[in-house]
Amino acid sequence: MLSIKDLRAAIDGKDILKGLSLEVKPGEVHAIMGPNGSGKSTLASVLAGREEFEVMGGSVEYQGTDLLDLAPEERAREGIFLAFQYPVEIPGVSTANFLKASLNEIKKHRGEEPIDAIEFLQMMKSKLRLVEMDGALTKRSLNEGFSGGEKKRNEIFQMAMLEPSLAILDETDSGLDIDALRIVANGVNQLRSDANAFVVITHYQRLLEYIVPDFVHVLSDGRIVKSGGKELALELEEKGYDWIKQEAAASPAVDAV
Amino acid sequence: MNATNPVVNFKDKLLSDFQLFEQSLNGSSTLPIHAIRRKAIQHFDQLGFPTPRHEEWKYTNMAAVLRQPFRTQMGPPAIDLSADDFRPFLIDDLDAHVLVFVNGWFRSELSTSADEEAELCIGSFAEAQKGFAPAFDQHFAQHAAYTDDAFTALSTAFARDGLFLNVSAGRRVSRPIHLLMINDAREADYFVQPRHLLLLDANARATVIESTHTLGAGRSFSNIVSEVVLGEGAQLDYYKVQNDSPLASSIATIQAHQHANSLLRSFTLSLGGAMLRNNVNATLAGKAAHTDLFGLTMLKGREFVDNHTLVDHAVPHCTSNELYKGIYDERSQGVFNGKILVRPDAQRTNAFQSNHNILLSDGATINTKPQLEIFADDVKCSHGATSGQLDENALFYLRSRGLSLEAARAILVHAFAVEILNTIEVEELRTKLDAQITERLSFTF
Repeated sequence: MLSIKDLRAAIDGKDILKGLSLEVKPGEVHAIMGPNGSGKSTLASVLAGREEFEVMGGSVEYQGTDLLDLAPEERAREGIFLAFQYPVEIPGVSTANFLKASLNEIKKHRGEEPIDAIEFLQMMKSKLRLVEMDGALTKRSLNEGFSGGEKKRNEIFQMAMLEPSLAILDETDSGLDIDALRIVANGVNQLRSDANAFVVITHYQRLLEYIVPDFVHVLSDGRIVKSGGKELALELEEKGYDWIKQEAAASPAVDAV
Repeated sequence: MNATNPVVNFKDKLLSDFQLFEQSLNGSSTLPIHAIRRKAIQHFDQLGFPTPRHEEWKYTNMAAVLRQPFRTQMGPPAIDLSADDFRPFLIDDLDAHVLVFVNGWFRSELSTSADEEAELCIGSFAEAQKGFAPAFDQHFAQHAAYTDDAFTALSTAFARDGLFLNVSAGRRVSRPIHLLMINDAREADYFVQPRHLLLLDANARATVIESTHTLGAGRSFSNIVSEVVLGEGAQLDYYKVQNDSPLASSIATIQAHQHANSLLRSFTLSLGGAMLRNNVNATLAGKAAHTDLFGLTMLKGREFVDNHTLVDHAVPHCTSNELYKGIYDERSQGVFNGKILVRPDAQRTNAFQSNHNILLSDGATINTKPQLEIFADDVKCSHGATSGQLDENALFYLRSRGLSLEAARAILVHAFAVEILNTIEVEELRTKLDAQITERLSFTF
């Protein structure tokens, strides 16, 4: 589904990703862990198409097409979803209206008819239940005045509504208390299927107790320096990131499987 | 005189108009108002039209408008007009007193018939000046200074018709008063000068919506002065709606005098016009008076707006709040000059001002200048101004959900405008403006 090869990216002339490779297949959940500044969020931004980041080399293939050629909205319409670390507040736009417009753009792209009002409301109702979100929030301005937990839940709600093939969760766990974390993780777990894949970016192992990954990758200084199964996350929790950094310094970069 | 300078020619034409007007008066020149008119025309003669050399007109050069050969409307125009001509300008579903003015003159046969409520307070300026209303003589030209402003001097000299609103103590005008200011540019270009006087006695309340509309493909130029006096505890909501043709220019001045506990809420909504200069000036002259000044500008092409505001805190314990937002596309230009004056006695003043602008194209410009002159020491004043492009993070957020760049921009521009739209209390007006803005953005949910 997603094939990243030797990806290099920079912002403001500063190299962040320095040859990152990753393969994601349908049905898989990949966790990307790493210390602050290792390039985790840059990876998310580059995959979603944020233009401030300059791709300096390498390739990203998504479902057989060159992802880097596509505008952010085209990526979204092709089924990529980024759950933001810092969801943006947009006064004057309700979540419901915004989501309906988004959903219809995606449907148009697939050659489908726009969703009718009743169907949309029913869909919202069931997806709201999934993330235990109050329906009143969807009538309010997008993220405006939402608590940290509400914003993150709203991201997962949007993800549920748009049904992406590849969802990238950028530190969705940051700033969440344990209840909100459980709800968010539960939402993700219910959306997991053989057809879609998740890339879960996180600093802490905690989230991975709830969203159990198939693979864990450790990112350090712009490269994946270690990959393994879910037990790698526990090892990191125990030993910290310094251990990985030392190991990485001692041996050349390991490509992810 | 320099006969080759068209601006000077226009001034000369207006001076000779005044002479003709005096000759035509046939005796009514003995009215008290006429002595004021004479003084005003002398001031206009001395002042001349402002140029960018005047500090208050630094960025606003009216020469392009003033050099046009406008006709003047010296008496009630014999213009054939039917309701169909102005139906699109009405506000859907709004139950209002609609007063139609054509080239500045009141047309009762086109207006909603005066019911009991209207008869109690709504009149025409032309009737009022005949001397039946003592309040008229007491207040006309006492608030809008014609000694230092050429356009106010001109308005005062030629004050003939407009709205005379006189709401007695404790009365609430339940329905909004919609002033439809129609300028007929179907066959000729006119310079028109409606003049309003709005007097609300103690605890009276009213809502006025004034919209200007030009018929036909010609140019129009309005010079509108509204004097407002709010008695103790009175409240006036005054909406100025400028969504006129790109050949319509106007100078619109509101001069308000507020007594204790009164509330003025002014809304300047500029969605279209050639050269628009809006002066909103409020003097807070009684304790605990409050002024809200809201403005929303959304221009394109080569349209131009200059919003000049002055909040004069003359006594202690008054408050004012000002928020103007502007959206400038293509080669449109904006000026915002917001002055807050806190006089030495005006302790415990709270005055806030902000001006935020979005420039949607490289060719658009905004000059914004907050001006705080504070002579008291126990005051809270703040101001803030921002100008810039749409928030990149917000654009990316919307695009990452599948919305096109154009749609994302439209959504954000609309969201920027909504803050002001939400201050509009007349729901039907808010709906109409929202629809016009949405249509212009060519994006609907």
